[in-house]
Amino acid sequence: MAEKLIELKNITKKFPGVLANDSINLDIEKGEIHAIVGENGAGKSTLMKILYGLYQPTSGQIYFKGQPVEIKSPLDAIKLGIGMVHQHFMLVPSFTVAENIVLGVEPRKSKIFADYNKAVKITEELSREYSLKVDPHAKVESLSVGIQQRIEILKVLHKGADIIILDEPTAVLTPQETEELFRVIRRLVDKLGKTVIIITHKLQEVLALSDRVSVMRQGKMVGTLMTKDANERILAEMMVGREVLFEDLEKKEVARKEVLRAENLQARDNRGLLALKGVSFSLYSGEILGIAGVEGNGQSELLEVLAGLRQVEKGTITINGNEAANKDPLEIRELGLSHIPEDRLSTGLSVEATITENMLLGSHRKEPYAKRGIHLNRKKIRERTDRLIKEYDVRTPSQDVVAGNLSGGNMQKMVIAREFSFDSDILIIAQPTRGVDIGAIEFIHKEIIQKRNEGAAILLVSADLDEIFRLSDRIITIYEGQITGEFLSKEITKNEIGLYMTGKHKDLSQGGA
Amino acid sequence: MKKKNIEYLISLFLSIFAALVIGAFIMWANGRNPIVGFAALIKGAIGSKYNIATTLAKTVPLILTGLATSISFRSGIFNIGGEGQLYLGAFGAALVGISLVNLPGLVGIPLALLVSAIAGGLYALLPAILKVRYNIDEVIVTIMLNTVAVLLTGYLVNYPFASDVGKLGATEVIGEGYQLSRLVRLSTLNTSIFYVIVITIIMYYLLERTSIGYEIKMIGQNPDFSRYGGINVKRRMIFAMVVSGVLCGIAGAFEVLGVHYRFLQHISPGYAWDGMLIALIVKNNPLGVVLMSLFFGALKTGSISMENATGIPSELIAVIQSIIILFIAGEAGFKSKIKGFFARKDGRKKVGEKNA
Repeated sequence: MAEKLIELKNITKKFPGVLANDSINLDIEKGEIHAIVGENGAGKSTLMKILYGLYQPTSGQIYFKGQPVEIKSPLDAIKLGIGMVHQHFMLVPSFTVAENIVLGVEPRKSKIFADYNKAVKITEELSREYSLKVDPHAKVESLSVGIQQRIEILKVLHKGADIIILDEPTAVLTPQETEELFRVIRRLVDKLGKTVIIITHKLQEVLALSDRVSVMRQGKMVGTLMTKDANERILAEMMVGREVLFEDLEKKEVARKEVLRAENLQARDNRGLLALKGVSFSLYSGEILGIAGVEGNGQSELLEVLAGLRQVEKGTITINGNEAANKDPLEIRELGLSHIPEDRLSTGLSVEATITENMLLGSHRKEPYAKRGIHLNRKKIRERTDRLIKEYDVRTPSQDVVAGNLSGGNMQKMVIAREFSFDSDILIIAQPTRGVDIGAIEFIHKEIIQKRNEGAAILLVSADLDEIFRLSDRIITIYEGQITGEFLSKEITKNEIGLYMTGKHKDLSQGGA
Repeated sequence: MKKKNIEYLISLFLSIFAALVIGAFIMWANGRNPIVGFAALIKGAIGSKYNIATTLAKTVPLILTGLATSISFRSGIFNIGGEGQLYLGAFGAALVGISLVNLPGLVGIPLALLVSAIAGGLYALLPAILKVRYNIDEVIVTIMLNTVAVLLTGYLVNYPFASDVGKLGATEVIGEGYQLSRLVRLSTLNTSIFYVIVITIIMYYLLERTSIGYEIKMIGQNPDFSRYGGINVKRRMIFAMVVSGVLCGIAGAFEVLGVHYRFLQHISPGYAWDGMLIALIVKNNPLGVVLMSLFFGALKTGSISMENATGIPSELIAVIQSIIILFIAGEAGFKSKIKGFFARKDGRKKVGEKNA
């Protein structure tokens, strides 16, 4: 039996009104890859933040190599050799790679001036030692997410970490980048004797990478098992607490008719740079068209342009035969388009408003909810809200609850309920299940498929490739503001898509030629 | 929502109570008896028919400026220019009253109110357009426009429209038909209070029961959400700002038509600022504005009697008002601190139980 490096005993963490961790026991062995899985809000991140000294446990004890320790701050954790790579990278975009890596422990000239050359040397040495290639002089803002993550890992290693905690490391990576990351992790563990704890909710990754896996649910530790004894179904069941059926979604044949056409669309992003460089595509009724791409390649801008939230610089949009470029959001909604925005907290809802008020938007001038468009009929409004809450399974004690108090999944169901209730021909859906728990994902996917089967035209953007594949009939790939490919989802694999998402398909065809 | 309201009411009453206790402490520290002081204050505010009438009279401009602030703050566009709009509205009403002297009240009063509403509304329209068109900060523009309006009317009333008697800083008295009748002898309470009741009901209906009020609320909470949902955010912001200006203008008109019967250079002792404080305290709730205006009106009226009877300076009331604001502003912070304290206490108990 391997040496127990870290033991967490009866760790409990209480936040006002929430029991985030409920007497958790966990041990980490030296030289293993230990996966911690669980739904959003299961308490995985809280537990790891306790281990890294960002939170103090309400009660319980941490043992390090058999000795009880108190980890009061990340500084203490670093001293013990524990490092953490956060889900949101903590890098300074305008600094170079070398500057970022030595940040906080800068080498000094005469104890005062930062020694940049030394920082570069340190970076090169680290890079060689761990075979993680980086250019010390490159500015972080110009690098891809995958490389940025590599820098985060180097940073942690530079601080002398033997135990590396990775919080949702693959959330923003392409399939190729994920594979590369896994190779790196394997090498760290097998060749260099490091120990890795990885937090995730992607079960396939757990099975592919880890040695052992611990499952958490609602603040409790459900159990730890050897990965070789686990499979996706067992883990999903442990996570949700009931059987989860990843059944195939039934797709009916529906008459296809072009309802939306975009031609040569150009638009700028918030910084004024061209984010869409001539995008053209058609969307048909009764289909789900998935847009696959690494985040920040123009998907967000494309959706905003279609929904009337962003200026079209050039090109045309036709919705049901009507010219729709640069119309305002209300006009576009009236042409028959509903929109589930990618960021529900900033755009999809008002966190201060009640469920009633959130569900009212868009119907608030329509009969019978507003008499003559002015006088609000509270009774009708409340009836409709209750109906939608039931139909879309929004879990809430009452419709007077403020949206900010709902869980991510319930917020999303609320937004979906509102947008689906308009019965529009066209649905633009972005990140439908981001931050949503497994049970709700199942439900949301079914609702989306049902809309498709009823003949709606659906444009789907998701950072989750699995989701795109599961739902889409057709997939287009977007890279740097341009469409790089169009496929029937049955006729392409995830790996091929990955190449189109990163613009590497050209190398492929050139190499082949 | 209900629970939240109750929590808010509790913190509001605690704040008022704490402010009064601190006020009492200040009286005591100055060698006065707080009980005598507060008794005089209450008696001065509601002790007799005259006192009640005076309290109500002081409440009139506060309700109007409070409602004006509510609608603008709810929509997320901040009208800090109420004082200027009030001065222009007051001057507009006076201008009608001294130039068309012989109009009967039935025509004259609505006309004077209309002119003051237009003056206040237009004066708010300017910063609103600058805001939505050019994204120029409305707070700074409206604050500066206050000074412009006060100085402009000050000039007008001392030169072109100065009273014949001399430079009093006042216009001639308005025609008799314009003068709103007084309701209680010696007090300045006049029929404007009935107009205010009607205006309050309209504003309550507008803000709480119509789709326009809903849109205004949503814009104030999250403009991106509102735009995404098909609300014309810019148009609604302009609307809210203009209505706010109109209400301030009318508040000025009532000071002329009901209280002074002429425009005075310093006609408002800062009604718009008080109204803003009131709206802030009650979180822009129209009914809350009415109640808090009554409370502020009573404090103002009572403080004068208190000063006369006990020698405690009436400025103490300004201190108490400010302390209430301070507590309300800190409400969220206090609440989480208190909650955190109880949560920790619970947590400790749990740990103790386990050890035992």
